Amino acid sequence: MTLASSQPIELLAEGKAKYHPVDPDGFREWVREHKSRTLVSKLMTEKEAVEKFVADGDYITYECNYLTRGPNLVLNEIMRQRKKNLWIAGKFTYVDVGLLVGAGCASKVDTGFFLATPGVRTALAEGRLEIFEYSNVVMSMRLEAGAQGIPFIPVRSFGGTDGFDYSGAKLIRDPYTGLPTVIIPALNPDVAVIHVQQADECGNARVFGTGISDVPAALASRKVIVTAEEIISTDEIRSNPGATSIPYWCVDAVVEAPFGAYPGTVPGYYASDPMAVMEIFAAALRGAVEPYLEKWIYGVSSHQEMLEKHVGVAKLLDMKKREVIKEGYRA
Amino acid sequence: MTQAEAFSEREAAMCVVARMVESGKTYWAAGGGTPIYSVLLGKKLYAPDAQYVTEDGVIAPIPMLPFEPMMTMVASRATYKALSWGNMNTAGFYAQLGYMDYGVLNTLQVDKHGNINSTFLGEYGHGGRRMHGPGGADTIAACCWRTILITDQEKRKFVEKVDFISSPGFLDGSEGARERAGLPRGTGPWRVVTPWSVYDYVDRRLRLMARMPWVTVDEILAECEYKPLVAAEVQVIDPPTEEEVQILRTELDVRGQTTDAAGGWIVWDGEKYIRQVTG
Repeated sequence: MTLASSQPIELLAEGKAKYHPVDPDGFREWVREHKSRTLVSKLMTEKEAVEKFVADGDYITYECNYLTRGPNLVLNEIMRQRKKNLWIAGKFTYVDVGLLVGAGCASKVDTGFFLATPGVRTALAEGRLEIFEYSNVVMSMRLEAGAQGIPFIPVRSFGGTDGFDYSGAKLIRDPYTGLPTVIIPALNPDVAVIHVQQADECGNARVFGTGISDVPAALASRKVIVTAEEIISTDEIRSNPGATSIPYWCVDAVVEAPFGAYPGTVPGYYASDPMAVMEIFAAALRGAVEPYLEKWIYGVSSHQEMLEKHVGVAKLLDMKKREVIKEGYRA
Repeated sequence: MTQAEAFSEREAAMCVVARMVESGKTYWAAGGGTPIYSVLLGKKLYAPDAQYVTEDGVIAPIPMLPFEPMMTMVASRATYKALSWGNMNTAGFYAQLGYMDYGVLNTLQVDKHGNINSTFLGEYGHGGRRMHGPGGADTIAACCWRTILITDQEKRKFVEKVDFISSPGFLDGSEGARERAGLPRGTGPWRVVTPWSVYDYVDRRLRLMARMPWVTVDEILAECEYKPLVAAEVQVIDPPTEEEVQILRTELDVRGQTTDAAGGWIVWDGEKYIRQVTG
């Protein structure tokens, strides 16, 4: 086996876009000051969580998307509270970016993937929206670096793309292999919002099934809102510690949120509501987001009121019934 | 095998990709739609021991079909009876480590060196049309050993140079360009499949290698803004079989999401296949 001789690090190329500031020591200090080590209840409503933990101008990441295990009740509340100038981590998103832009909440997106709706295109053309280019995995790797408390992470993808030029990535000569290697900036969002199947009131959370970057997002973010289909006891958490995905000390708010991902699915709990999903897509793709927001979000005061007013028990029960697969979704 | 008598062009493309699927190999299927249906069809008929992952890091599921509409990832049916559940980073790690033999993806635009555009049509940042972005395709195209691309045979989709490289092909086409950009050695584009044709690469340049029986080489070239190399002998692809089409329609794409989207319809008139373009 031959080993490449050590070579000096050299900057070969770099993207020109602005990126969320990288500050691992600042993050550590935030953790020291703000993250409670005490096992206390953090239960609150989605309204309180958004009032307390989402500020105008925040960088926000949310897990999954509007169709699958998305924290939709919090996204809806953010729109209801008319938050402004949010910077969205647009990895594996879908129609949700179109809604957040349509509601005037988002002015920057790192992407990823999102549904390019007429509203998004208009916002871009009018200069109300800036987009920075990454890919889904590059974004989740940025969170991975943020979750490890390190300033950047090398990846074996993204080099040679035009996205690279419009990102915060750099190409360096790696001192160990001597090979050109892409590095990407760590991402430590201001806010993460994660919808899980179960959590205790302190924030110990269980995610069942596949996901995108639930755990890195929770570890990497300054303010973490967990919304849970079910609140379980801390004793139950302790009965199966291996099932804990997110430890309580990352978590700042816990919201009890049955059907919190409506109209999307929560695997193992309920199937999606295809008619309502289609209603969103139709609104977003026709550039008619405003009436949609009026009906589903502004016209109600909470997720529960939305479920009562526009969905109803029969449909919710049917969604549960149609989710026939349970294996793997309980501890 | 009985030849199918009528099928859509998208169905034909999926059948071609399905026949490329090999047992003992791994496939990273991008998003939903044609890539995943192609791999599943291949597994059912030709290569039961082919395995696949999706962007949420699921390994070798036995999905409960059909999928719910648009629910091909982070959904219980799509990830059913997998060997392992993961996330986007585990999927990325498997690819970086060399476990992914083939990536299968869809795109809007491809160029002579197999570069892929799913970000922007036109000059970036100057008018033009914003699209959805690379999603997971950038990592698939960067790190899988071989990449299979599915697209439509349309002039505007085969170009000299894509408007924006969202996911890497052979970049500028020079030897070692991918490695100089930081990508793993020995990887890159392998095939492009359209409803009319299959392309490979010679010296990192796109080459027409096979055609469907209902189109001529000239008809294909007329639908390429960039004229690819043409193999000395362009093979003729066997049309879809009844069995392939039946599985696609009754088990996989039961809602016809990939059937009526675009393109023509191919019908056997008793002597030959003819192409009918629907409105």
